[in-house]
Parts: sequence; C-alpha cells; structure tokens
Amino acid sequence: MINVKGLTKDFGAVKVLKGIDQTIEKGEKLVVIGPSGSGKSTFLRCLNRLEEPTSGTIEFEGIDITSPKCNINHVRRKMGMVFQQFNLFPHKTVLENIMLAPVHLKLLTKSQAQDKAMTLLKRVGLEEKARSYPAQLSGGQKQRIAIVRALAMDPDVMLFDEPTSALDPEMVGEVLEVMKQLAAEGMTMVVVTHEMGFAREVGDRVLFMDEGIIMEQGTPGEIFGNPKNPRTQDFLRKVL
Amino acid sequence: MEAIQAWAQSVWEQIDFNLIQGDRYLMMLDGLKVTLQISVAAAVIGVLLGSIIALMRLSNAHIGRWYFLRTIATWYVDIIRGTPVVVQLLIMYFIIMVNVSNPLPIGIATFGLNSAAYVSEMVRGGILAVDKGQTEAGRSLGLSSASTMLLIVLPQALKVALPSLLNEFIALLKETAIVGYVGMMDLTKAGDFIRSRTFSAFFPLIAVALVYLLMVTALSKLFALIERRIRLSDQR
Repeated sequence: MINVKGLTKDFGAVKVLKGIDQTIEKGEKLVVIGPSGSGKSTFLRCLNRLEEPTSGTIEFEGIDITSPKCNINHVRRKMGMVFQQFNLFPHKTVLENIMLAPVHLKLLTKSQAQDKAMTLLKRVGLEEKARSYPAQLSGGQKQRIAIVRALAMDPDVMLFDEPTSALDPEMVGEVLEVMKQLAAEGMTMVVVTHEMGFAREVGDRVLFMDEGIIMEQGTPGEIFGNPKNPRTQDFLRKVL
Repeated sequence: MEAIQAWAQSVWEQIDFNLIQGDRYLMMLDGLKVTLQISVAAAVIGVLLGSIIALMRLSNAHIGRWYFLRTIATWYVDIIRGTPVVVQLLIMYFIIMVNVSNPLPIGIATFGLNSAAYVSEMVRGGILAVDKGQTEAGRSLGLSSASTMLLIVLPQALKVALPSLLNEFIALLKETAIVGYVGMMDLTKAGDFIRSRTFSAFFPLIAVALVYLLMVTALSKLFALIERRIRLSDQR
C-alpha cells in the first residue's frame, strides 16, 4: 500500500533521514520506536508530505506522491493523521471539527457528515461532547476526537505521531483502547510511539530507528524478545 | 440660587446661539455623516486590503517566482507607515486623484490605503500567533492551503488581532478629522466653521469633541460584545 524508496530528509545541514526503504502492506500495523531525534516522526510526516522529502520516492496505492504532478490534497484525504498535540480546531465545536473537512471537500452532505460524526463519536463514547468546544475536554477526550476527525474522511491508512505522549498517564489507556479497536477492524496503521506495551500487543512489525536509519526491524517478538542490534538492546534496556 | 439660574440661562443661550440657531446642528450632522462615510468605507478597505497584504508578506514567496509579492507588500507598509497621513491626503488630492472632483472618494481612498498598512501588520501578527499544528491538521485532512488559511487560521488570527484592530478603528475615526485640509466638511470642520461664524470657540468645539467621544465609546462597547461572543469557545 505504501512503498518508500531511498527516502532522505535534510533540515539545512542536518541529515535527519539517511535513506529509508519500507513497504507497508494493506492492513499492516507498523510500529516505529526509537530515541528522540532518531527521525521517526520525520519519517511519518514524510509519508503524507507534511515534510517534503529531500530525495527518494513514496508510492501510495500506486501513485508516486513525491512527483510534482501529484495532487497531494487528494492523497491526504485517504491518509488520516493524529498528532501528539491533538491540533483540534479550538474555535469549532467537536461536531464542527469532525464535519469540517468532509463537508468542505463535498465528500458528504451536511446531514450525512453529521450522522457519520455522531456514529463515530458513539463508538469512542463521546457522543455527549458533540456540542462542546475542545477547551472543555480532557487530553484523552481531545485525542479520541482527533482520531474520530481523521476517521470521518474514511482513510485507507492512519498515521499516528506519538498520540499518547502529551497525555496525563491516566488518560493514555482510553486512547490506546480506541487505537486497538481500530487495529482489530483491520485499519492499516503506522504508529510512532513510546508505548512499548502497545507496540508488543498490536504491532505486526516493529521498526527501531536511530540516527536517521532503520537499525532493526522484525516482529514484536523478535525486537522485544531477542534484539540483535546493540543500539536496540541499549534503547530497550532504558525504556522497559 | 439665582446665580445658578442665571448661569444656566446663559449656558442655554450659548448652546442655542452656537448650535441651534441657523440650523447649525444640521451642519454638524452633515459633517458627522461625512466622517462616518469615510471611516466606515476606509475600515472595510483597510481590513480587506490589509489581510491581502498580510498574506502576501507571509506567503512562501521566498522560494521562487512569487518573491516580488513579498517585496511589494513590505515596501507598501514601509512607505505608508513612514509618511504622515496628512501628506498622503495632500498627495492624493493634488496629484494622484487631481481629476476627481468629488472629494469623498479621495478621503476614502487615502484612509483606506493608509489603514491597510497598519491592519496588515495586526493580521500578520495574528496569523503568526496561531499554532503551526493548526495548519498541519487542516492540510492533513486534505484541505488546500487556501482553505486551511480561510477556515482555520484566519478566524483564530482575527481573534488575536481584535484588540489592536479596535485601536486602529478608533485612530482611523479620529484621524479623518484632517480631511478639512482638502476642503471637506467633516465633523471637525463643521465645528470649526461654526466657531468662525459665532466667534465663540467653546461650545462648537466641545460639542464636536463630545460627539467623537460618544462614537469611540460606542465602538469600544461593540468590540467588547464581539470579543465576549467569540471567546465563548475558550470557556472551560
């Protein structure tokens, strides 16, 4: 579904990604772990071109999205993204947040979008918050709404950029629960996270990144049970 | 008691003489109309043009062929802010719009173009104050950069800019008092004209001052109301 070849990204003189090759299959749950500054968020953000790759190609459903001819806005409709800082629109109610993109892009009528939003809200147990503003919600609630907002576009893949890192510990569980539910429904997911428990339980494949390259990859069993690379061993010793 | 009565009597006579006789209050009302016409039209131009200039200055124009947009906008702001508005008015009247006989468009154009420069900096500040994550969220949902700006960033930017915009509108309303320079009969000029007829400065000028004060107070109240409304979403 996603095919990454020779991806590099420089920020000025700093080389953040030094050549990434990856193929992500439909329905796969790929978890990316690694120390901060390893390039894992940049890798994720390159996938929907929130960061412009310096070189390399990214194919999504057969389309080269790094080509100048590609309409990235169309591609992004099919790639949902969830941010560490939620990034809900503070001047809009929860319902308006969810309905905004599908209605503005004329994918759904207003009433269709509202029905869909309410259905999704019910699924994450927040239908009574539909008329609230983001400032009235807890962090965990905000992140669940952000997930719903992305889902309202019917994406083929969901990108999660450290979705629980800005949350108070007691709210991490409710967000992971929604993500697990999503995984169980067969959604293709790429998750950058520090939640090793989630990686182990949900991931089909785990990437360990450091210094802009993929140091090691394998099933959760391989990576957590028997890491080969000394950097992976060192990292896991620190976080587990 | 009698002294007070006599004083009140003389005050009333003065008001009657300066403002009522010869329908002089009508002259002030006409002047007020001119002041309001110029101020409101200039404010509309200022906000629209100012927003465009702000977007030009913020455009990703430093990469490539649109660079000139940014240069033009920067120059525009520098030139307008760097010269007195009276001089701009005189230039407009005697040079740029010298063939225009009706002075009203001249006043509107001068103050509209002037205000745009100041408004652009307020809007630019507002846009820069909106978190980058808001843009990223909009773009990640497939919205174009223009839609993201219009639906997500600008509404939040205007909220930030609102207090300084109020300042600008107040300044604009009062600054229009200089249109008398090019022979327009605005509120200030009307008061001054009455003074020259009645040879009494106090009542005409104080009346003019009070009318400005009243308008500015009303404007402030209106903005306080708007601000309270749009801050509803901040309540926890």
